[in-house]
Amino acid sequence: MHRRDFMTGVTAGLAGLLLSSATLPATAAPKELRVLTWEGYADEPWVKAFEAKTGAKVKITYTGSVDEIFAKMTASKGEDFDVIAIETSSYKRLTQEKLIQPVDLTKVPNAKNLLPAFREVSAIVFDGKPYAVPFAWGSIPLIYDKKAFPQPPASWSVLWDDKYKGRIIAMDDANNAIVTTALLLGYKDPFNLTDAQFAEIKAKLLDQKRYVSTYYAGFDDGVSIFAQGGVDLMMSMGEPQAPMLQKKGVDVGLTIPKEGAIGWIDCWAISAGARDPALALAFIDFMLEKQVGTYISEKTGYGNTTNADANAAIGLTYADKLVFLQAPENFARRIDLWNEIKATPVE
Amino acid sequence: MTDLSLAASGADPAIAGARAPHRRWLRRTALRLAVYGVPALLILVPLATFLVYSFWTTVDGRVVQSFTLANYVDFLAKPVYRGVFTGTLWLASIVATTSLIFGYIIAYLVWRLEGRLRYFLLLLSVIPLAMNYIVKIYAMRNILGYNGSLNWLLVHAGLIEAPSKLFIFNQTAVMITMAVIYLPYAILPIFLSLERVSPSLLAASADLGGRPGQTFRNVVLPLSLPGSIVGALFVMVLALGDYLTPQMVGGNQGFTFGRAIWSQFGMAFNWPFGAALAVVLLLSVVLIILVAAAISRHARVK
Repeated sequence: MHRRDFMTGVTAGLAGLLLSSATLPATAAPKELRVLTWEGYADEPWVKAFEAKTGAKVKITYTGSVDEIFAKMTASKGEDFDVIAIETSSYKRLTQEKLIQPVDLTKVPNAKNLLPAFREVSAIVFDGKPYAVPFAWGSIPLIYDKKAFPQPPASWSVLWDDKYKGRIIAMDDANNAIVTTALLLGYKDPFNLTDAQFAEIKAKLLDQKRYVSTYYAGFDDGVSIFAQGGVDLMMSMGEPQAPMLQKKGVDVGLTIPKEGAIGWIDCWAISAGARDPALALAFIDFMLEKQVGTYISEKTGYGNTTNADANAAIGLTYADKLVFLQAPENFARRIDLWNEIKATPVE
Repeated sequence: MTDLSLAASGADPAIAGARAPHRRWLRRTALRLAVYGVPALLILVPLATFLVYSFWTTVDGRVVQSFTLANYVDFLAKPVYRGVFTGTLWLASIVATTSLIFGYIIAYLVWRLEGRLRYFLLLLSVIPLAMNYIVKIYAMRNILGYNGSLNWLLVHAGLIEAPSKLFIFNQTAVMITMAVIYLPYAILPIFLSLERVSPSLLAASADLGGRPGQTFRNVVLPLSLPGSIVGALFVMVLALGDYLTPQMVGGNQGFTFGRAIWSQFGMAFNWPFGAALAVVLLLSVVLIILVAAAISRHARVK
């Protein structure tokens, strides 16, 4: 193609774009809802149903990390998106940076569908106002090889048991390691630790290092190491690892020890820069339909917040035993502590 | 495409003469701008960004854009990060030394061969470069792992009774895996520096009564060593930044500086400190490359 032709093409294209955008409002374009979310949280069946119901057009942007969500939201003070899905411990930062707005639950009639465990999640309430609506949840459970454990281990203390030395793997995650240890030590508030508690957790985790064969890096990595053999116990990254291992022929069980376990909830929130807050509320209301919750559990293997039967069908019956993540007192301090543990040689 | 073909035809005097010189100049400048500008934009701008970030700080999960050296002070003040940094440097130099020794042996043996076989074997030895790096780590884990082929072999040979955990999830595993992965990067430059040893020098050594061993010690080795060391330093740079291999096969001893940098991102949201650590790593890489450059310049003068 000759350059001049190319330039004419580009100019024509640009003009076309300008024209079309100029004429769009005149022809009463359908309302648009811009959703920033994780893969699997805005699937076609119910997005199509929502579009049919409201006449709005849903534009979905998928994200791969919390970093990305924050980058995209801060870039425009939330003006680029109307609705986002993010996990509970991020809400402190989101509200601090004024990237989201409170959710008026009186305009979300389906909030009555919420299961009891998700009606009062303190991590998403600021100044007495809810800023999000719980949608999907899971935990950081203990996964064990049934050959080694005919009965599920009762306590997290099994991760410090001489009998399983070198046959334990744990995920490489500062906050999850620290909160789970805090639960084992019986601390009331694992998200606001005192100096003394920090010191005790550090000693405990250093002690555990002698028993841990490796800190794995991700979902698949953990499954692959477990399936290679020589592993009895895993502080897991989430429920889906159990069926993944079953598929690889390892007969594993999953348990929430008596001290409880970390829970996470992905919630829908409305961006501070939402163009049409009413439409955003309608979307959130729609997400709380029981069929949507059922679909979430059946498809992703994570818990939903509206249909208890669908949760029970995939074994997620323990929402009340979980401690849902909150923003910790000082994330940098937790990262430093964890790095210190990983850097300290043992035996 | 258009630009390139026009530039090429512009070199032809018959056509160039028919065109206004300033248009040709314009076209050349545009081409140069594209050739140099695009890489500069894609490489230098990101580098500059994280350099700038390293002088900022975070307060309450928010990046504060005011100049501070706090992150660098933190790096020096926190023994964890200093310790991991020196540990990683040490690991990288061991990997480089191992690659130098084994790479030299392999390159030398290939170099001694005659004719087609020589280049065929050289090609074979660098084929792993075309393989995905993660796949190679998983492959090594399958060999060294608990139910891996090495254990299977040893158990079946009756040398050990049960699979051993000695080969995986420790420092040894990290070194073996890294040495295997980075060996091809060492073999190539070492082979090239051996290629540069003139055959006439070998013949002269033999004519003067030098035995093969003497020729190797006094002619081949001194001539090829600088280039080989440069190759090893190249491996060291690669190993320095590699945090995945230690993470995946190093077990509870697999913590390296790259992973420490990684840990400052994501939920931690400590980009400024992460950026400062990255600058430290980048500076050490630059330093190693400078050493390599000095060695090869020195060798060329001789």
